[in-house]
Amino acid sequence: MAAGVAAWLPFARAAAIGWMPVASTPMPAPPREKRRTQDGLIILNVSGTKFQTWRNTLERYPDTLLGSTERDFFFHEETNEYFFDRDPDIFRHILNFYRTGKLHYPRHECISAYDEELAFFGIIPEIIGDCCYEEYKDRRRENAERIQDDEDNDNNNDLVTPDMTMRESMWRAFENPHTSTMALVFYYVTGFFIAVSVMANVVETVPCGSSLNRAKDISCGERYALAFFCLDTACVMIFTIEYLLRLIAAPSRYKFVKSVMSIIDVVAIMPYYIGLVMTDNEDVSGAFVTLRVFRVFRIFKFSRHSAGLRILGYTLKSCASELGFLLFSLTMAIIIFATVMFYAEKGSTASKFTSIPAAFWYTIVTMTTLGYGDMVPKTIVGKIFGSICSLSGVLVIALPVPVIVSNFSRIYHQSQRAEKRRAQKKTRLARIRAAKRGGASAYLQYKRNGLPSDAPDEASKEAGQALVSKVNPTFESQHHHLLHCLERTTNHEFVDEQTYETSCMEMTLANQTRSRSSSVSSSPHGLSSCCSRRNKRKSFHVPNSTTGGGRHGSVQELSTIQIQERPLSNSRSSLNAKLEETAQLNCDQPFITAAIISMPTPPVTTPEGDESAGSPDYSQSNIVRVSAL
Amino acid sequence: GFIYPQSSNKRGLKAQLRKLIPCSGGRRASARTQNSVEDELELSAVRHRPEGLEQLEAQTRFTRKELQVLYRGFKNECPSGVVNEDTFKDIYSQFFPQGDASTYAHFLFNAFDTDHNGSVSFEDFVMGLSILLRGSVQEKLNWAFNLYDINKDGYITKEEMLDIMKAIYDMMGKCTYPILKEEAPRQHVEIFFQKMDKNKDGVVTIDEFIDCCQNDENIMRSMQLFENVI
Repeated sequence: MAAGVAAWLPFARAAAIGWMPVASTPMPAPPREKRRTQDGLIILNVSGTKFQTWRNTLERYPDTLLGSTERDFFFHEETNEYFFDRDPDIFRHILNFYRTGKLHYPRHECISAYDEELAFFGIIPEIIGDCCYEEYKDRRRENAERIQDDEDNDNNNDLVTPDMTMRESMWRAFENPHTSTMALVFYYVTGFFIAVSVMANVVETVPCGSSLNRAKDISCGERYALAFFCLDTACVMIFTIEYLLRLIAAPSRYKFVKSVMSIIDVVAIMPYYIGLVMTDNEDVSGAFVTLRVFRVFRIFKFSRHSAGLRILGYTLKSCASELGFLLFSLTMAIIIFATVMFYAEKGSTASKFTSIPAAFWYTIVTMTTLGYGDMVPKTIVGKIFGSICSLSGVLVIALPVPVIVSNFSRIYHQSQRAEKRRAQKKTRLARIRAAKRGGASAYLQYKRNGLPSDAPDEASKEAGQALVSKVNPTFESQHHHLLHCLERTTNHEFVDEQTYETSCMEMTLANQTRSRSSSVSSSPHGLSSCCSRRNKRKSFHVPNSTTGGGRHGSVQELSTIQIQERPLSNSRSSLNAKLEETAQLNCDQPFITAAIISMPTPPVTTPEGDESAGSPDYSQSNIVRVSAL
Repeated sequence: GFIYPQSSNKRGLKAQLRKLIPCSGGRRASARTQNSVEDELELSAVRHRPEGLEQLEAQTRFTRKELQVLYRGFKNECPSGVVNEDTFKDIYSQFFPQGDASTYAHFLFNAFDTDHNGSVSFEDFVMGLSILLRGSVQEKLNWAFNLYDINKDGYITKEEMLDIMKAIYDMMGKCTYPILKEEAPRQHVEIFFQKMDKNKDGVVTIDEFIDCCQNDENIMRSMQLFENVI
């Protein structure tokens, strides 16, 4: 029950008189009212600071300490006041919550002290108003992170739990090399071999002095081919073993195979195996040489060893659109200036600007202020435009770079904050929904116990113990009486989700079994009227349209509708959808009634229960339909 | 109050600034909307003050103390002194978490808003409560008839009753036992009309209604149910 609404309960109860003339059954008796205490002033003495307020103000929130009878524990007879040995500065905000309905978080207060006071007075922090909620959550998160960091530092020195499986401990070793000595050794060994492999790839191409047969130098790779081959084999063997071990240890193999690091691993070792397979085929040796280029990807394996590399990759990925825009604007400028330069230099003899694509090279070199000098304009117009090109190059390149840098930090922080807000909103709404559900389930619990309003403790225990400290019995009993009156008015009862789902399920099963056995005894009249309605609705929201024969098909659809639809919200649309389903169920009812009469064994009692225990009008209508058959 | 002169000064200053800046076309539009927002705020900030305590005491059947308690609660929830329909629906929906109480709240709002100005002031609120809690059975039945008669023409037609009934059944939500069928409100309306519509002309007049209710013991007893709510 949302806070503050307790004050409007008398109005809601009075308005219930609107149901009385249309009620189908007599109303339940109202709960016994305790003698109404006069609304007086209450003195709250908090560590010497006296606060005064009306009793009714405090009782607006009956699920908190001050609003319930729990405050009687703090009553001090000698001075006829309620004494709390707590912080008066924070208490001021708590009392303002009762007065205004909005809880504020003072920025200068310590977050844990504030949390403690809220917990003491039984107020859930989700009630904090929007003006202060983000600040509160930020401070709380910082605090939690600080505590978590301290705990992590302690935990990292602990031994691994003995009941971890081999696979889990292997994965842990791979992910956190600091956990065990073996993991550290493995980490350094792989790092060393990555470095060795990359160095070998580099050194392979260095000219190594001339051999006796040839005139020019040959590369070291060709000279010491065997040595390099052995080195490559060793490295690839280590990498392959590492990859296989990771694959075995991964908790989710499919996710592991899809991850970037594993793709890099595969790309790093594939050229070797492909080379092994294709050594003798001369036709594809050209492609084989190209494949060796991919060996350089081994250097990316270092990103497992370096967090900075990972962060760089992530930020590049997250700013892809900004980079794309930079590229696009650069391309535009290049094309413009290349065109201009080409046409400017067209007149000059022996011009290097043979085509616009050829001028691209000049434009790029000039705009990035490289200035190789292999292509220079010779005409005056060309030189003018060339200088404009180099000036604008500085602008075009230098301007977006700080924008991209600031975009990096902005996007990064923004995405963090957006996710944070989304998560906060989700949990906040979830808790409020849980409290709401707690209120609804409190009523159901109260009904199940069948107890009068004297014992609300059961109801309060059921209704979200984590959220409320104590429930005002008078308010609860009056609210339950109100809901009871509504039940009596409409002659239906409130049930919870599970009971409703099971009763729906039972009805569909009953329909199915009965339809299979009693398809012959169904009346054509009923079939036409109901099936026409059903056929109209067959078209919408049926996932697998079974166009098979008549009632079997449609009943099949019914059951799929029942089972696959899980309306979680109480919105009108879902309510209407569910009503239509139940209407479809209902139109099966008359046949089933006929079937029950002809068959001796009614398997499910739910529809029967409806007829026997239902209101007179309900069974009347069914009887009418049976006689029409 | 003195808020008005201040804002007009602000507006004057803004207008002068706008004249200085040449390219403030877009800003002019936003400033205009901002001014209209300010106007709206000022309008809605108008406090509604109820009539004096003595007058309300005379017009309703509540004692002075009861009126004090009622007003304090009312003003706490609605500091501006009036309830508009959305707030009303919100508050009423809190009591029926399983279903959708907004339609019934709409009808209730119209029943309380006797002068049909779109908001329920404290006087409307307290008059309605006075009838419901301290009125005679005749007055209560009158009030109920007024609630059902949506277009206030003195007759309850089947369509009006069906709307009301659907609104009541909506408050139950979907998780009910037995499962709520689509014909339930309609059947309920049929029973109601069979009972109330004596001359079978398809509408229920106020006399038929009061007559029939006074002859029904259950209804009479249930009318006395909420005497001690305040």
